[in-house]
Amino acid sequence: MRRGSIASLLGIGIVAGGIAAAVALALPWLPTPASREASRIDFEFWFVVTICIVIFAIVAAAILYSVVVFRAAPDDESDGPPIHGHTGLEIAWTIVPTLLVTAIGISSAIVLSNDDALGKNVLRIDVTAQQFAWTFSYPEAHGLTSATLMLPKDRSVQLRFTAKDVIHSFWVPEFGQKQDTVPGLHPTLHITPDRLGTFPVICTELCGLGHATMRTTVVVMTPAAFDKWLKSQSKGATPSSPSQAGKTVFTNNGCGACHTLAAAGAAGKVGPDLDKLTTYAKQAGQSLQDFIRTSIVTPNAYVEHGYPKGVMPQTFGTSIPKTQLNALVDYLAANGTK
Amino acid sequence: MTAATYDDHHLAPPRQGGAWRLLYRAGFVRAAWMFCLFGAIGFGLVVLIRWSGGWQPLFKMEDITLVSLLVAGPIGFLAGIGAFDYWVYYALGFPTRPEDHSGHGARSWRDYFRVNTDHKVIGVQYLATTLVFFVIGGFLALMVRAELAKPGMQFVDNQTFNGLFSVHASLMIFLFVIPAFAGLANFVVPLMLGAPDMAFPRLNALSFWLLPIAGVMMLASFVVPGGAFACGWTGYVPLCSTHQPLGAVFFNQGVQWAGASSIMTALNFLVTIITMRAPGMTFWRMPLLVWANFTTSLLVVIATPFIAGSQFFSMFDHVMHTAFFDPNNGGYPLGYQHIFWFYSHPAVYIMMLPGFGIMSEVISVFSRKPIFGYRLMALSLMAIVVLGFSVWAHHMFVSGMASWLRVPMMITTLLIAVPTGIKIFSWLATMWEGKLHFRTPMLFALGFLSMFVIGGLSGVMLGAVPIDIHVSDTYFIVAHIHYVLFGGSVFTIFAGMYYWFPKITGRMYDERLGKLHFWLTFVGFNLTFFPMHILGTEGMPRRVSDYAPKFAGLNMFISLASFGLGASVLVFLYNMITSWRNGPIAPSNPWRALTLEWQVSSPPPIFNFDEIPQVVGSPYEYGVPGAQHAILAPAPVREVEEVGAP
Repeated sequence: MRRGSIASLLGIGIVAGGIAAAVALALPWLPTPASREASRIDFEFWFVVTICIVIFAIVAAAILYSVVVFRAAPDDESDGPPIHGHTGLEIAWTIVPTLLVTAIGISSAIVLSNDDALGKNVLRIDVTAQQFAWTFSYPEAHGLTSATLMLPKDRSVQLRFTAKDVIHSFWVPEFGQKQDTVPGLHPTLHITPDRLGTFPVICTELCGLGHATMRTTVVVMTPAAFDKWLKSQSKGATPSSPSQAGKTVFTNNGCGACHTLAAAGAAGKVGPDLDKLTTYAKQAGQSLQDFIRTSIVTPNAYVEHGYPKGVMPQTFGTSIPKTQLNALVDYLAANGTK
Repeated sequence: MTAATYDDHHLAPPRQGGAWRLLYRAGFVRAAWMFCLFGAIGFGLVVLIRWSGGWQPLFKMEDITLVSLLVAGPIGFLAGIGAFDYWVYYALGFPTRPEDHSGHGARSWRDYFRVNTDHKVIGVQYLATTLVFFVIGGFLALMVRAELAKPGMQFVDNQTFNGLFSVHASLMIFLFVIPAFAGLANFVVPLMLGAPDMAFPRLNALSFWLLPIAGVMMLASFVVPGGAFACGWTGYVPLCSTHQPLGAVFFNQGVQWAGASSIMTALNFLVTIITMRAPGMTFWRMPLLVWANFTTSLLVVIATPFIAGSQFFSMFDHVMHTAFFDPNNGGYPLGYQHIFWFYSHPAVYIMMLPGFGIMSEVISVFSRKPIFGYRLMALSLMAIVVLGFSVWAHHMFVSGMASWLRVPMMITTLLIAVPTGIKIFSWLATMWEGKLHFRTPMLFALGFLSMFVIGGLSGVMLGAVPIDIHVSDTYFIVAHIHYVLFGGSVFTIFAGMYYWFPKITGRMYDERLGKLHFWLTFVGFNLTFFPMHILGTEGMPRRVSDYAPKFAGLNMFISLASFGLGASVLVFLYNMITSWRNGPIAPSNPWRALTLEWQVSSPPPIFNFDEIPQVVGSPYEYGVPGAQHAILAPAPVREVEEVGAP
């Protein structure tokens, strides 16, 4: 190979690598990390991206250089030189990639084991996934449940998952961590939040018709604010008003993920609009209270026209305690007046 | 010796007789009534069994649809079209002729619409059928993009949306990429080997006719009550077993028919390649396309039974209330994923290795240079086959499987980048100092090289467990799979179709339209799929009909680009159709290639070689003075045997 061709190949390679690096740096790739795990994943991401950019630049340079320099004239019917191979080169492009992927493998394994390692004073939270809602319960606070995940900053958190119906997946992009929830299994996930803020919780495993709406939020607060929240919620176990009690049941069971109810600020579109419960009860020919109770306990008994059967979970009859169910029915009857 | 004529080989006698003959002659009329007859038998069987068992309801739609429409009916269709005729005659003791060539070759367009034993006709049947499903699958994708152009719901409901992307993926994988490669290989491999046909021509014909059944089944799921299967092409349980309407069974069964077709074709290729190579054609003198199909067929034969098993068990859970994967009765949902990916990861290579073969042919011929490092190229294919079976669980890093399995699977996944890298570097070295001719196949080859490198590198990123945990099940995955399967496989299919178009049709395609098609596809493809990487890392999950408002801009951009990409296919179809009708007559070897298929006329004679070729050297000796791949010497006069003829 002539010296001139090496120089121009190198030039094209640097330009191609520069463009790829500019694309990598200018665009918003990963969200700003909000957990120690996400920061480590960020490091690994950029480590691998750097290697990838170098390889991409080499390949792009070789293609561009060949296209420009080795283009045959239209009437050129001659053949190229009969080069059948080069043992040194072939060994080189077997060994070098092997070393690179080994480096990626080792660094990934280290990141993985750090991300999985629990810290001291672990906060354990039970997460229940069902179509199409999340419920978080805090054994530390005597089983306090919430539809929003509340976490203290800088404390090691272990989530333990239960799936009631199908496979779901828990993901907070800012935390970088993700875990499928599988019926019959109880996988765990480790997170150490290190940035205050409110972030989305997203279901990433297709779980049925309402998959896109299976969202909630996670709030990372200071440890003091978290303790205060725990106390206020524990007090709230005996709510001030009956309507407040019903609203809590509505929120904690994730009803708003699929249903619209103005009073609860819910705008789900998967299931029927609960503001119109009075109309539906008339169509079904039942009293409002009976209709609501039946529809929660045995959802397939009457399905509003235009909505598919079998989508609403059939487990609420057993999972919601009787007093809470009564409160929920009263709450819905009072608000579904259209 | 002159070219063999039809009469020499006992082709079909001239057709005669009245319209009533249509009823019992093999063909679509007989296929229609036999479909109904077998369907009725299936219906009766289910009702009889339910009645004798005293089960209510007697007419259970689910079971009747499954047995009558998805199993018995299609068998009736195959019997009616004539796929079993020879074997049935043989089994019943009617006179048969092993050398019966009445179903061989095409004299008019009608011969493409019947059971034909000519590998060249079957190749065309495959390609035409898969292109139809490619267009339908692409149309479904455009409907998905139309819905996703804006946040919120626009045109379709959730059930339809989930059905659209599920059927899109299933058609593209099972009815386009895999069988399109089988079609190209069907046409080319026997020619490259110097063989008159495949080893089992009747089995070959049957393999093809299973395919439309699978495709129609998957599409038909849109019209059954409850809607199409809506659980993604991966069909994860328990969503796809106990939580889905009847449409899921159409997916389970469609996969069985397509899978059976795949297995039969692969067996046929293996036997053909092992036993029917021309004299002198050692394994180390085989073109890399043949090597690629040899290794692909190994993968198909070993892996495909696993997806068949997974779909049967999932369907049994759905229809017969077994509990293979039902956690409420002791089943194990992750078991499905392990079995499914034990096929579906090798399937990625089933969809890639034949493309590697096409690339080796195209790049060598249009660079006018021998393929660089031929033996290492062949060995890296074998390495991919072996390693390909040890990486399946990298699809399951976040699934909740045993966590110790993650690091070993990561290591094998990363290592498989090495043989793939060897191939890419060898193609680059093949082009180096060559005489490059930028005809359409070569443009698609260069497009493939650059796009597949991006897909391969994002694959290395996904192989690293911590990165995979973040981007798993997001649009990053959608981008990756399309860079591999579209930028990779589909580009090589286009390259192959342009490259062998003169050989298949005997006419040249329009070069300007071909180049236009390439540039529209290349630009449209990158504008559509590159931004999806960003959507994924930023936080947009896949398989959602609605998304956060902050992703609205990029999604609108992607949707607009995807419509441009869709339009590019029209240029391709127009070029193919008009060139086949009116293109200039192709010479036998327009690319000055050395492999055997270019040494016979375009299109090739009915039995490929009037003279048995004697292979004397490598197929890639470009630039070597006086080098020859094969000598086409006069063959001894061949007697046509008439064993068992009346």
